Amino acid sequence: MTAFWKLGKWKCEAGGTPPGDIDCASVVAQLYEYIDEELDEETVKKIRVHLELCKRCYPHYDFEKAFLRFLSEHGRISTPPELKRRIFQRILEEESQG
Amino acid sequence: MSEEATRKRQEFEREALVHLDTLYNVAVRLCGNASDAEDLVQETVTKAYRAWDTYERGTNCRAWLVAILRNTFINQYRRESKRPSPVEYESVEETSVFESVQDRDPEGSFFRYIVDDEVKRAIQELPEEFRIPVVLSDVEGMSYAEISEALELPVGTVKSRLFRGRRRLQQRLYEYALEMGYIR
Repeated sequence: MTAFWKLGKWKCEAGGTPPGDIDCASVVAQLYEYIDEELDEETVKKIRVHLELCKRCYPHYDFEKAFLRFLSEHGRISTPPELKRRIFQRILEEESQG
Repeated sequence: MSEEATRKRQEFEREALVHLDTLYNVAVRLCGNASDAEDLVQETVTKAYRAWDTYERGTNCRAWLVAILRNTFINQYRRESKRPSPVEYESVEETSVFESVQDRDPEGSFFRYIVDDEVKRAIQELPEEFRIPVVLSDVEGMSYAEISEALELPVGTVKSRLFRGRRRLQQRLYEYALEMGYIR
């Protein structure tokens, strides 16, 4: 019998131990923290092992990573150069006023 | 002009003004328009300069600045405009879009067709509670601890707002991609 994670099912079937000793639901719930590198070492290790073996969670991880990369590349608004100039000017004025 | 004043200005430029882009990005997301955002940034920087002696050296300057910006916004700008409406926590879908696209586009390549203006609009449409953590994390690359300091929120709250904000944003961009026919 193929293990549940290879079938890509959500819930652990009785008796099966999910890879990394962590089930799909917990992995998915912590994917952002995993990508953000905000988890403790032990959890990171479990999730890494899980992702290597789970046919369902790995693409999900990839998808969330692509989404966050997309945001970081397209969400930025650049500061108007005129505002920068005014601010440096303002600080110079503040300096001269003591 | 005293040497000390010059030293202070130079230090401020080096330590604080390198974060101008972050301040402007957050200001636009708070104010919703460029002109108020510029005023808010100017005011924040002036305040920060005057309070520079109270800044604890070696602590996180960026978080310190964002906190000043946010407090200035709350005290001055929000009074004039309407307060944000409370978040309707239950009514919004917060499942991952991956569930909907895994058979058609598991790699999320549809994101690439979405233009920057639409991304910005979608971010702006997020409730403020979610919008600012998402901008600080995903645009500015701040850590949870930094965001927690800047917004004066527990790390756990930052975490959950980020989670929900990202999911909402993802959903919104997916709906847009569907409308535009970027994904079928």
